[in-house]
Amino acid sequence: MGYKSWGGDMNASAGARMPHEGDKDAARACLRLPGLERCVRGTLGRGRRAARAPLGAGPSRGNAGSRRKWGSCPAARPRQGWGPGAASAVVRSGRPDAVPDPMPTPPPESAARGNSRVPGMVLKAFFPTCCASADSGLLVGRWVPEQTSAVVLAVVHFPFIPIQVKELLARVQQASQVGVAVLGTWCHRRQDAEESLGHFLEGLGAIFSHEPWLQLCRERGSKFWSCKATRRQAPTCPGAPGEDQVMLVFYDQRKVLLSQLHPPVALPDHQAGDAVAGAGGLAAVFDTVARSEELFRSDRFDEGPVRLSHWQSEGVEASILAELAKRASGPICLLLGGLLSLVSAASACRVLQLWPLSFIWSKLSTCEQLRHRLEQLTFVFSTQKAENPTQLMRKANVLVSVLLDVALGLALLSWLHGKDRIGHLAEALVPVADHVAEELQHLLQWLMGAPAGLKMNRALDQVLGRFFLYHLHLWISYIHLMSPFIERILWHVGLSACLGLTVALSILSDIIALLTFHIYCFYVYGARLYCLKICGLSSLWRLFRGKKWNVLRQRVDSCSYDLDQLFIGTLLFTILLFLLPTTALYYLVFTLLRLLVVAVQGLIHVLVDLINSLPLYSLGLRLCRPYRLAAGVKFRVLEHEADRPLRLLMQINPLPFSHVIRTYRLPSCGCHPTHSWGSLCRKLFFGELIYPWRQKGDKRD
Amino acid sequence: MGTQPVADTEEAKWQKVLYERQPFPDNYVDRRFLEELRKNIHARKYQYWAVVFESSVVIQQLCSVCVFVVIWWYMDEGLLAPQWLFGTGLASSLIGYVLFDLIDGGEGRKKSGRTRWADLKSALVFITFTYGFSPVLKTLTESVSTDTIYAMSVFMLLGHLIFFDYGANAAIVSSTLSLNMAIFASVCLASRLPRSLHAFIMVTFAIQIFALWPMLQKKLKACTPRSYVGVTLLFAFSALGGLLSISAVGAVLFALLLVSISCLCPFYLTRLQLFKENIHGPWDEAEIKEDLSRFLS
Repeated sequence: MGYKSWGGDMNASAGARMPHEGDKDAARACLRLPGLERCVRGTLGRGRRAARAPLGAGPSRGNAGSRRKWGSCPAARPRQGWGPGAASAVVRSGRPDAVPDPMPTPPPESAARGNSRVPGMVLKAFFPTCCASADSGLLVGRWVPEQTSAVVLAVVHFPFIPIQVKELLARVQQASQVGVAVLGTWCHRRQDAEESLGHFLEGLGAIFSHEPWLQLCRERGSKFWSCKATRRQAPTCPGAPGEDQVMLVFYDQRKVLLSQLHPPVALPDHQAGDAVAGAGGLAAVFDTVARSEELFRSDRFDEGPVRLSHWQSEGVEASILAELAKRASGPICLLLGGLLSLVSAASACRVLQLWPLSFIWSKLSTCEQLRHRLEQLTFVFSTQKAENPTQLMRKANVLVSVLLDVALGLALLSWLHGKDRIGHLAEALVPVADHVAEELQHLLQWLMGAPAGLKMNRALDQVLGRFFLYHLHLWISYIHLMSPFIERILWHVGLSACLGLTVALSILSDIIALLTFHIYCFYVYGARLYCLKICGLSSLWRLFRGKKWNVLRQRVDSCSYDLDQLFIGTLLFTILLFLLPTTALYYLVFTLLRLLVVAVQGLIHVLVDLINSLPLYSLGLRLCRPYRLAAGVKFRVLEHEADRPLRLLMQINPLPFSHVIRTYRLPSCGCHPTHSWGSLCRKLFFGELIYPWRQKGDKRD
Repeated sequence: MGTQPVADTEEAKWQKVLYERQPFPDNYVDRRFLEELRKNIHARKYQYWAVVFESSVVIQQLCSVCVFVVIWWYMDEGLLAPQWLFGTGLASSLIGYVLFDLIDGGEGRKKSGRTRWADLKSALVFITFTYGFSPVLKTLTESVSTDTIYAMSVFMLLGHLIFFDYGANAAIVSSTLSLNMAIFASVCLASRLPRSLHAFIMVTFAIQIFALWPMLQKKLKACTPRSYVGVTLLFAFSALGGLLSISAVGAVLFALLLVSISCLCPFYLTRLQLFKENIHGPWDEAEIKEDLSRFLS
């Protein structure tokens, strides 16, 4: 092409300083368009020169403001908006993925042709705060026609060659799939009003045609902003003016880039009427900023043909360490993944899947916990990359939870193995088991008398009591047989704490289950007997009334019985009725004991589940970097004057902690209470066996 | 316009239809309204002696309960040897069994299709189960208070009398429930007896008097009404005699009850029937006389 630039070379432009611009380099871009030759004179941003200077050299005069952060800009300081009349509206966004794909942004012609603008609808310009003190130039961003909002992503400084800007934009568009375009011009007046600049900026609209054409201008006092949006073509509505009302919304580019918008918990409560962006619009803004990361990749040391002003990272301080970790993570993942697959292959061995063993595995909570951990670790160390931020967050959560678990486990291990605590524990364990058995014996003897003055059937009472006493006797002898080995068993079990606190807790739960096996047996006997009686009584009661249960229609029908059926049924009914209190009492006592044990085990399970499923990484992120997890945004009014554009500051509303937990909860190990309280009481009443912590696999059979 | 309806002339007579527009208010009726009034269409004239005869079923059942209680009292006091009761019961059962077939000449048996082998099986089941469970029955209610047992038995026997099928066509009647209640009461009372043999014999006797005896009565009443009246009188007097041997006051009260049920109540019923005044007319709800069951299938 015939473009010729002599502002492109810095050395050349350094000498061409304009006399009336004290602190700026003047540059001239000579554009030779087909049929039109114009010589434009633009201001030259100083950022480029600063970038060229060695790091140690101080910036030239006036240079300090060039990359000023938001907080140093007095006009835009958020506190200023907190006047008595300051309004603060909270706008939450909708689900980000529910937004129609904003990728193919219509080119300016189609935007103008479609002209979806409703007359009187305010044009929203989202402007990054870090560009507030940038030098004059072009506004690069994305136009969202559905919301009539313009998301400014960066400012291109003078001088530039239009074709290079277009090339850059095309590249970014290809990489990020976001329709980035030149939206308008940005004029930062540092000293005097520059008439020539204004004309020049207006002229740029002819080169980068966009509809509407934004003209942002910041006055010298840095207090006053003006913003115009002009439409070149006549608006569809004849009565509407050619200029739109514009509302400036400042946003922190870094925070918006890093934050992740979450679906709202409740419907938004529009406090004021100035809910600028709808749910979809906000998501579109977030999405646009997040996707155009390609645009921000160049930092201030880059030397490209086009100089941009946008948010830039502070520089990676620990870059060597980070780089090393990044390099090392691949092989480490590969190695650990291989190890884990070996372990899982060993655990899937056929010998271990035979009937009695597989049954035992499914009943021991330790095995469940180990399996769960194995799955989690396999997930973390899988070599495939996380596809979306949610999955990445899940990986981080799992990793942090595992690390914390192992750390706690090691602490427990060191505590246990110091000062011979295991020996003390083992010595204490056998007397405790003995004591429990003795107490049970007393309880049974009390039941065999007339407990609480209840009238029990003496014969049945004696039979049941003797049966249970014999069982208890068996149990006590078993405990005594085991007692010499208990210390060694405990020592080995204690070692397992290095696999994590949760594993140790699961083993504790299993030990409790094994030591209270007699209580479980009593409960099962009592429940079976009681269930038999209850079922028999309910069906015999139907016979007593001359009814029967119709299985086909699932209802009670009347039925004519034979004489002998009636007689035997009534005889059995009477007997069962009079024997019921005795069985019910035994059942009640043993159920209470069983519930006690279950409650203890349930507490341990809850603790394990807490460690397993708490999203610690997300919680830490929410605590330290609240903007990373956004629930929505709120707007603060910075300036509201009659004839000036309304200026708002968009701030990110952090996600509430409860919502963080709900969103990022890790799946627990599959042991969960299956009963509601009502069904539990019902089952207890009818004597059905209750297993409060059912394993996941049970549903299959 | 000559076809103008003559609605407002005098000839427009009121019709009892809703499908035609008539110049009368909706609630209009004419003079003929009360012409259709009918009285006591379904009322029945009762003959005094017929009612007395029908009331004998109630008498029989009351006497059965009374005899059962008296026998139980004798057993509980030890005045009646269980073997003697068993023997008598067995003999009367055999006689009753033979009579049962003789009365209608075996027609009922043919109709029900029940074989003698089935009867024998039923008898065996009764005997075996009762005998097997009698030790359990003996100790069943040991720890329960005697008053509780008495209250329960009284309640069950009253239930038996209430739900018994006296031949009335009512919803409350349930012969199954009635029989079950009687058996329940007999088991409760039997568990109070001193030995398990007593309990066994008591339950067997309950079966005979509450299950088998009404079946024979029903057949007697249907086939030979005269002998039925005789049997009823005999049964009532024997029950009264038994009660008299225990308590005179009880016997007098029971006799008064029987007399009032068999004589006073029928008399009162026939007298009250004279005051019956049921009116029927066009205001009754519609009754479909036609058999519509063919539409159902």
